[in-house]
Amino acid sequence: MSETQNSGNISSVAETASPSAEHNGVGGSSTVSVGPEPATAVPKRERRKQPRISDTPPMAPPPPRLDDYEPIIGKPELDELRFLATVLKGKSVKMVNSTAVGGGVAEMLNRLVPLMAELDVTTHWDVITGGNDFFEITKAFHNALHGGSYELSRQAQEAFLATNEQNRQRMAFEEDVIVIHDPQPAALVSSKKDHPGKWVWRCHIDLSNPNPGVWGFLRPMIDQYDAAIFSSPKFARQLAIPQYLFYPCIDPLSEKNKELDESYIQKVCDDFGVDRSRPIVTQISRFDRLKDPVGVVQAYKMARNYVDCQLVLAGGGASDDPEGAVVLKEVQEAAGDDPDIILLELPPWSALEINALQRASTLIVQKSLKEGFGLTVTEALWKSKPTIAGAVGGIPTQVIHKLTGVLVHSVEGCAYQIRYLLTHPEFAKQLGKNGHEHVKENLLMTTNVRRWVLLFRILLGLA
Amino acid sequence: MISSATPDVFTRAAPSPFHFNSSSHLLRIERERADSLGELLDALRSCPDESIFQHTFQTLQEHHYIREGFSNDFAHWAYTECNEAGLAERLAAIDVRTFTSLASLREQIIRIVEDYLKWNPLSRDRAALEPFYFCASESVVIPTPFKAQNLREFIEALKRVSIHSIHHHFIEARLRLKLASNDFSAWLEKELGLRQAAASLNRIDIYTLTLEDVRNQLIRMLSSARA
Repeated sequence: MSETQNSGNISSVAETASPSAEHNGVGGSSTVSVGPEPATAVPKRERRKQPRISDTPPMAPPPPRLDDYEPIIGKPELDELRFLATVLKGKSVKMVNSTAVGGGVAEMLNRLVPLMAELDVTTHWDVITGGNDFFEITKAFHNALHGGSYELSRQAQEAFLATNEQNRQRMAFEEDVIVIHDPQPAALVSSKKDHPGKWVWRCHIDLSNPNPGVWGFLRPMIDQYDAAIFSSPKFARQLAIPQYLFYPCIDPLSEKNKELDESYIQKVCDDFGVDRSRPIVTQISRFDRLKDPVGVVQAYKMARNYVDCQLVLAGGGASDDPEGAVVLKEVQEAAGDDPDIILLELPPWSALEINALQRASTLIVQKSLKEGFGLTVTEALWKSKPTIAGAVGGIPTQVIHKLTGVLVHSVEGCAYQIRYLLTHPEFAKQLGKNGHEHVKENLLMTTNVRRWVLLFRILLGLA
Repeated sequence: MISSATPDVFTRAAPSPFHFNSSSHLLRIERERADSLGELLDALRSCPDESIFQHTFQTLQEHHYIREGFSNDFAHWAYTECNEAGLAERLAAIDVRTFTSLASLREQIIRIVEDYLKWNPLSRDRAALEPFYFCASESVVIPTPFKAQNLREFIEALKRVSIHSIHHHFIEARLRLKLASNDFSAWLEKELGLRQAAASLNRIDIYTLTLEDVRNQLIRMLSSARA
């Protein structure tokens, strides 16, 4: 795998920084100074090095096996999962979505399918095919279902149905349960009348405020399914069929979430010029206005009047998205010449680096103004990090205020919580601990495997 | 550590063994939702029993790692989304273990909300920050390989079963038994004659302990049991 010295774009606002000998440790046990003057009167030293990030995606590691999860969730949990699945032995499932690589659904199916196979539930995964016109239409549908304006033409409807019909004729639906992911293949359900299996529509998107035209077109298809699954009650619609709640989940063994060697975490921090002897506040997000990175910089600056810390803003989206580049520029302007603000534009295959940055952080911020479920919050909680997050989308499901993290509604609130958590490490540590347990109980891959098994049992009358 | 002073208590065989089960739950999204306390009251009257179970018994399991500040979803919503601390306190004080049926638990929740709205009529239609979405729990009981023929084996199994199994036998059980007790106490009293130990287990405060704490306390109490 080739590596370059500078394929990750580090955008530090200064080449030197001012670590203070007064500040030691990270992870909630920091000794931090409290007062109006940030510590700056120490000798400057070279801090920012060029990051070493591969310019091509690394080979994907082999998917984990069920036994690999035992140290994480415990043997009794794993045994219960295996027992739950025993009545499904010999049953088969088909998953259908619109892409084999990239995106959260493909990532999830890549993990789910082998785990289901290990449970003796034969799981096939089919991907629909279509031309550019089809995927342009479904992208427009996607945006419209999120509430965007869209004029649904007869031509678009016909093209959507025609591609679904071509795929329907190509595919066989002999399995006991057919799971269709998202709107793109939704019309495949017209095969239901010819096959005895149960049909499930798994909707990964927020349908709380859909464009009426697009939803009115899709709704008669969805009503033909036996059940629907949503990621949050607030994303669901009133439907005549049973609706189930599957929270999105993270894989604790993925590159982004697995345990890392301390030496690797240190190396990443060294590469990025992050000083681990001082508190680190981090937001991992695309440079997108809805993630409010400028608000995070403002909150950090307000907090810095009282406590010492560095701010790391790391994410992608600036190099391949014109709007992302504009937002990054705004963030750079807001950061000014502060040497303790570290802006990192990372390529999409930086999972290990992001993992290391999260693990090195004292606090994680996700000050979104609008959010889907917010899996970066899940990742932070899993790493037992005290988390400050905007009370939007699916975040309150994860961050229970003052129990598993803190919710904020403003820049001022965010600034206050940074100050408070940095100066109350015991409380911060307890939040992190609770957050980890919350994810372990409700938001891990293994929990979702259990949900699928339960759903199949219920649908097939084997509960 | 098991006391060596009364070994017979620990090795005496029970006529019937204790089979440890567990349960697994799938969340169904229900039609009811509430944007105000008045709507919550209406929905509380019409929602299925499985919703009452989900938002009281089951949510306790989902948040089993919290020692304080969380009791049930209704109390949490009244506090965080309606800013009604007085109502939240009263709802949070509901101890699910004092109910042996979901019908009586539902009545108590309704009574508390009705009473609160009688004295705070302006709160009835005030919009909540976020709606309350009613969900329901579909449950499947799972046998586990653990069984106990005597107290020693029982304590050993307690150390090894999942948290869900503890919740199933110790908290959910009263809905099955229709008694203000739990599967553990019922077996200890009926099969081993340990009336005092059985009664003491019932006094463990599940609202100020995590389920892991509950497990440890069960083990501690039973390890010092006397005939």
